[in-house]
Amino acid sequence: MSAAPFGFFGKIIEIDLTGGDARVLPLDTALVADYLGGRGLATRLFYDAVDPQCDPLGPDNVVVIAASPLIGTTAPTSARGHMVFKSPLTGVIGTSNSGGGWGHTFKSAGYDALVIKGKADSPVWIDIAPGKIEVLPAHHLWGQDIHATNDELTSGFEAGSRPRALCIGPGGENLVLYAVVGNDKNRVYGRCGGGAVWGSKNLKAIRVQGKEKIQIHDKERYQSGYDQALYLLRQAPVTKRLMRELGTAGLVELINVINMLPHRNFQDCTHRPEDLERMSGETIAKTILEKAAGCYLCPIGCQRHTRIDGDDGSTQRGEGPEYETVVLMGPDCGIYDLAAITTANYRCNELGIDTISFGGTVACAMELGERGLLGAEKEGGLDLRFGAAAELEKLAVDTAHRRGAGALLAEGSYRLAERCGRADLSMTVKKLELPAYDPRASFTQALGYMTSPSGACHLRGGYAVSLAFFGGTKEIPRFSLLQSPIAIRNMQNTGILQDSLGVCRFTGYAFGSDPWSRMLTGVTGMDFSVFRLEEIENRVASLERLFNVEAGATAADDALPPRFAETPIVVAGEEKMVSEQAQERMRRDYYSVRGWDSEGRPTRALLEDLAIAPRAGRAS
Amino acid sequence: MTRRAWTLGEEILTLFRSIGRASLLYDIQDSHSGNMAVKIRGADGADMILITATGSQKGDLDPSQICFLSATETDYGYYKASSETDIHQRILAIPGAGASMHAHTKDLSIATMDDLPKPAQPADFIPIDPLGRKHLGDHVHVDWFAVPSGSPEMAALIPKRLEDHPATVIQGHGTFVRARTLTEAFFLQCVANNAGAVVRTARKLKVDVEALRLEIQADPAAHLAYLPDAFTIDDDACCDFPEETEILREFHKAGARVFESRLSPFQTGSMSVRGVHDILYAPKASMPRDLRSPLRRLPLRPAETDTGELARHKLIYAETDFQTIMHCWLPEAEAHSHFRYPGDEAVSDRIVPVDAEGTFMYLVIPVLPPDVDEESFLKKLHEYKVVVVRGGGVWAVGHQSLSEVLHHPSSVREICLYRIGAFEQGLDLRKMEPKKAKKW
Repeated sequence: MSAAPFGFFGKIIEIDLTGGDARVLPLDTALVADYLGGRGLATRLFYDAVDPQCDPLGPDNVVVIAASPLIGTTAPTSARGHMVFKSPLTGVIGTSNSGGGWGHTFKSAGYDALVIKGKADSPVWIDIAPGKIEVLPAHHLWGQDIHATNDELTSGFEAGSRPRALCIGPGGENLVLYAVVGNDKNRVYGRCGGGAVWGSKNLKAIRVQGKEKIQIHDKERYQSGYDQALYLLRQAPVTKRLMRELGTAGLVELINVINMLPHRNFQDCTHRPEDLERMSGETIAKTILEKAAGCYLCPIGCQRHTRIDGDDGSTQRGEGPEYETVVLMGPDCGIYDLAAITTANYRCNELGIDTISFGGTVACAMELGERGLLGAEKEGGLDLRFGAAAELEKLAVDTAHRRGAGALLAEGSYRLAERCGRADLSMTVKKLELPAYDPRASFTQALGYMTSPSGACHLRGGYAVSLAFFGGTKEIPRFSLLQSPIAIRNMQNTGILQDSLGVCRFTGYAFGSDPWSRMLTGVTGMDFSVFRLEEIENRVASLERLFNVEAGATAADDALPPRFAETPIVVAGEEKMVSEQAQERMRRDYYSVRGWDSEGRPTRALLEDLAIAPRAGRAS
Repeated sequence: MTRRAWTLGEEILTLFRSIGRASLLYDIQDSHSGNMAVKIRGADGADMILITATGSQKGDLDPSQICFLSATETDYGYYKASSETDIHQRILAIPGAGASMHAHTKDLSIATMDDLPKPAQPADFIPIDPLGRKHLGDHVHVDWFAVPSGSPEMAALIPKRLEDHPATVIQGHGTFVRARTLTEAFFLQCVANNAGAVVRTARKLKVDVEALRLEIQADPAAHLAYLPDAFTIDDDACCDFPEETEILREFHKAGARVFESRLSPFQTGSMSVRGVHDILYAPKASMPRDLRSPLRRLPLRPAETDTGELARHKLIYAETDFQTIMHCWLPEAEAHSHFRYPGDEAVSDRIVPVDAEGTFMYLVIPVLPPDVDEESFLKKLHEYKVVVVRGGGVWAVGHQSLSEVLHHPSSVREICLYRIGAFEQGLDLRKMEPKKAKKW
């Protein structure tokens, strides 16, 4: 153990909610050198603290949130936090990242990571500031939505000292398996059901406040990386224009161009152009957009602050919809009604449920309904058809409260489809709903979904669509079985780095690891050369896999739903699907490049080579 | 004189046309200059010579502009053929010669000019780059002729020069080469011009070329990272992965760009994409659009039969996460690798961009010594994605695609051009270089 390096405060908060105890532990510098911060650091702390066989909704599950050494600097987009837990939706690692300002403010309180264990007897919230860590009753907050909770905890402070709150809504309280944890009202740790884990622990919110500053070791080196990063962000079309002008929904028509935009629970990728035009980024900008904004320190500015005017003269305001929301609550449900999608999106944000999993689950329910596969479920009020736009908002509210049909939707599409005897109609990997990019239109993306540590997540599995369309010089063949395993490994590793730095995935449209390496080395004075960063990326990937294996995941879980192997879509005039053989080859080759055995298990030799130590307090 | 019913095969016409066009693209001909000749065995068993017509546009050859000659007797084609036909005929009489080519290799011609009173015997040209030394030898004859085009004196001397050298220079005019095939002849012309370009560029950067030549002649191994692979002539049509249609297209695109943008002379350099167990490998990366080069699928594991070039690719893949590699013999980079800042004793260990885009794309381009150890080489590749090895070319790596990796040598060329241009104008490069480059 040595003194905290530059860029860190050297302090971890550990809170056991069972007894309400909080203590501050020193951060081991060796952990920083090996796992960096954010996702890497959180994964290691989580791995050391949790029993992989634990009940995700039981008291033994652990939540870890970690900041990175860049948080607290001026590095572009560097305010993101990362949360790791065992997912109640998937049963494997839950790993989720959020923008907004909470991550930055948490670091400003003088801490690097937060470990939450146990379960409170009754609802609590946690108040953190320099020299203060309190676990307080939250009865007055329980039942409130994310917006109200945020207002309650952050109002009444002087300008410049306003705290920030991270909290759950009714979705988390009611243990919706894909409930989110939100901050700044609409920025969320969205995937894998972290909100439900909080709810299971009776944890409503964490407020943070502080003005602590980190020290930079070598400002000149930091600045050289910063200058280059900012320049490139202002050069790349996606980061300088597309995201600011159209938001992520600007992808709607572009992704359709490459035949990746799902339709009716991923049955095909065929849309009428006029239908998509009604919900495109351009249409959002022209009709419901009030202003664009960015997260803390973000020069990209993809946030959409929007308003919907009702026929009755009412007005609703909120954020979104984002691309994934537009598509999964839209065309994937056979819906092309922007107002219906947006209002349902507002409810999801307020009540705290993931729009991707919600959209995917509704789409699945619609297909089950159209195929006449809903039996007893109908009695619960679940009898949907594609295109039922009018139902969306109510379904979101009912899901968050587990009312009526919502109680079934709250379990996610896999459990719903399995209950109806057709698990194959759930478009999930490891029970996590697919994002809005059809894997048949890119083998690289397909493999990314298959091998993502958290299930079908484009952000953890490798954001291959950026290579499929916006790769610039990095554009790769979309249907190469040969290139996909290494390409997706490298994309996943880039994601691990970004998550461990606390920076936005969209920076990857502009540059790779080189500027980050210089900024990071400049801040910390430690050797974070690109070579070292690659070591860290590979270490984190194998540690996540190790946890999943110990939690019971097998190679059989690294597979796409049968639809993608059996039913082709048409891409550029050719029928494309990801056959079982293609999946098998890519899976095998992916394991090989990761250094895992044929069953996808990190070998002992690899663990030694990557210096992945056994779980703390346990022999190997 | 006899008259024969010669018939031009489609394959040979295509080859003449393709090389003709490529030589214009590579700027080693003017609109009508140069000539190409091959010796082929006719159906009757007799050797005959095909040679471009005098005054023909090499960039747009018609079938009628390929003239047929008997190798042993003069045919009617002689009267239409190149004014240097006699030279070609004698070159093609050299044992093993299958093709000859004359080109206006301007960089080499300029590099070998002198202002001595004539007549005078010019100095030999001493290549300072590995490609030149490997394929042209440690010197190339340069001769002055009173009538430096199609003269009997040339017909007498040039074939003699080429008996034991693949190339020879006619001062102020261009180069003749002897080769086994027309493709190899074009390759040699490009390598020769490249060798001249390295010397010319080095002189622009005030490199003491004569001193450098003496050092290299005295101890070549100390100045050259390693010599390139031998040139092969019988494998250009080979493609081991026709089923990888998307990747194949990327190879062809990148190869054409390497050639057209003069990032590496014709059929030099190498590039690859790795799979999990295989490497897709182009041992001759620089390929014009209509001239194919071999494309191999090989095991990723090292093999005893691996060439030095291929072994370097495999080493990089074995030690890193990169998926693509490109190696180019970029003359501007090779020349710049010998650059010393005015007043400095030591050769600079970096190329610092002074142009707007280069400045932000790259902090510096490391210049590594010829004897750089593997660990340092790999570490610098990791950090910078592209490095210049003095006497070893430009190596670049990418995480995803050939397009990604192609961008690096292309950028290095521009970075070098800006620096060379600034230096030529007497500007102080140190003042132009960003401060951040000091922390690299």
